[in-house]
Amino acid sequence: MPPFEKVEYKPIPVRELLLEMKNLSELMIDLAYSAALFNDRELAEAVLELERKIDNLAYLLDIMTMIAARDAEDAEALLGVTVVASAADKISDAAADIAAIVTQDIGVHPIVSDVFERLEKRLIKATVHKSSVIIGKLIGELDLAPRMGVDILAIFRDKDWIINPKENERILAGDVLIVRGAPEGLKEFKEICEARKAQLRD
Amino acid sequence: MSGNAEVDFEKIVAKFAELKDTSELMIDLAYSSLLLDNKELAEEVQRLEEHIDKLHTEFELLVLSSQFKKEEAKGFLGLIRLGVAAEKIADAAAQIAEVVLRGIKSHQVLKLAITEAEETIVYTQVAEDSMLVNKTLREARIPEKTGMWILAIKRGEKCIRPRPDIQIQAGDILIASGYAEGVEDLKRLASPKME
Repeated sequence: MPPFEKVEYKPIPVRELLLEMKNLSELMIDLAYSAALFNDRELAEAVLELERKIDNLAYLLDIMTMIAARDAEDAEALLGVTVVASAADKISDAAADIAAIVTQDIGVHPIVSDVFERLEKRLIKATVHKSSVIIGKLIGELDLAPRMGVDILAIFRDKDWIINPKENERILAGDVLIVRGAPEGLKEFKEICEARKAQLRD
Repeated sequence: MSGNAEVDFEKIVAKFAELKDTSELMIDLAYSSLLLDNKELAEEVQRLEEHIDKLHTEFELLVLSSQFKKEEAKGFLGLIRLGVAAEKIADAAAQIAEVVLRGIKSHQVLKLAITEAEETIVYTQVAEDSMLVNKTLREARIPEKTGMWILAIKRGEKCIRPRPDIQIQAGDILIASGYAEGVEDLKRLASPKME
């Protein structure tokens, strides 16, 4: 286990800290399940790294909320914030527990893929073929969520995971994508990635 | 090994799917309850928390009593650990809902964190002549059209769980989560049809 780092105090607004904790913790659940589902060690390690990041955010958030409280009324209002932040922290811990199943070489029985077949919201892994129409496109311009109800959670490129890629990230040939969404949209998107389908519908 | 193994697997899969689905729904509902300062939603989260404890035990019993082979032990341990993680996620959701049940008024910072998050939560009322009226959720295909997922439907005082065969009625308030890009599309579906 890596040693605890000293968290350096930075005056970041509570709102930003909480927002990031909420975003990351929820993303981590899907990434952790993806790591278990596809038995992907690198992805599992990326989840563990995010967990350490959340721990640091939680630490800073505690400091910031203490500074922000001017009186008892303030403190009570802020209590809700710290309770929610600690819940987000707990969610990220749970995600890390899932990732640890992979990094500790325990693995999950293959029937877990049947579980995902049954859920409305699914996860797939797709490799971008060199003749796919999305190559060179920015994630933002693909408009995936409104177009087919899917979104890209992570990209594996140059032996590293890019977590939660931004709108201005370009898709390259050979990228491995973790995508989440409704079954129909995922099927279509996978076909597009693998160049079995050449058109993005409107 | 007997032919029962497949039946066992089927039960394990179904139970875990419910466990996972419920735990994640709880997070969304818990955040919704904060955003709307709604005790009813928060209570629903607490009810689900009790339900999930029961589910979790049933799941563990199913896994442990399935006659897996020795070489499958690790994989089954992995399954058990997944169950524990889902339960932990549900606990965290219950913790969020408690803030509402305690009557602490949601701090502005909390509401902002929920609405500005990448996965946002919105609610929208279905207009009298929206194209959604009288469609079942399955027919409405909201996730495919908008990337938004319906978490709950508020009909009058009642809060309904979004089963695929539920019919949408005018006046229903749809509570949904998803990426911010889909919000406008969802609101458009719920608003009056354009001529």
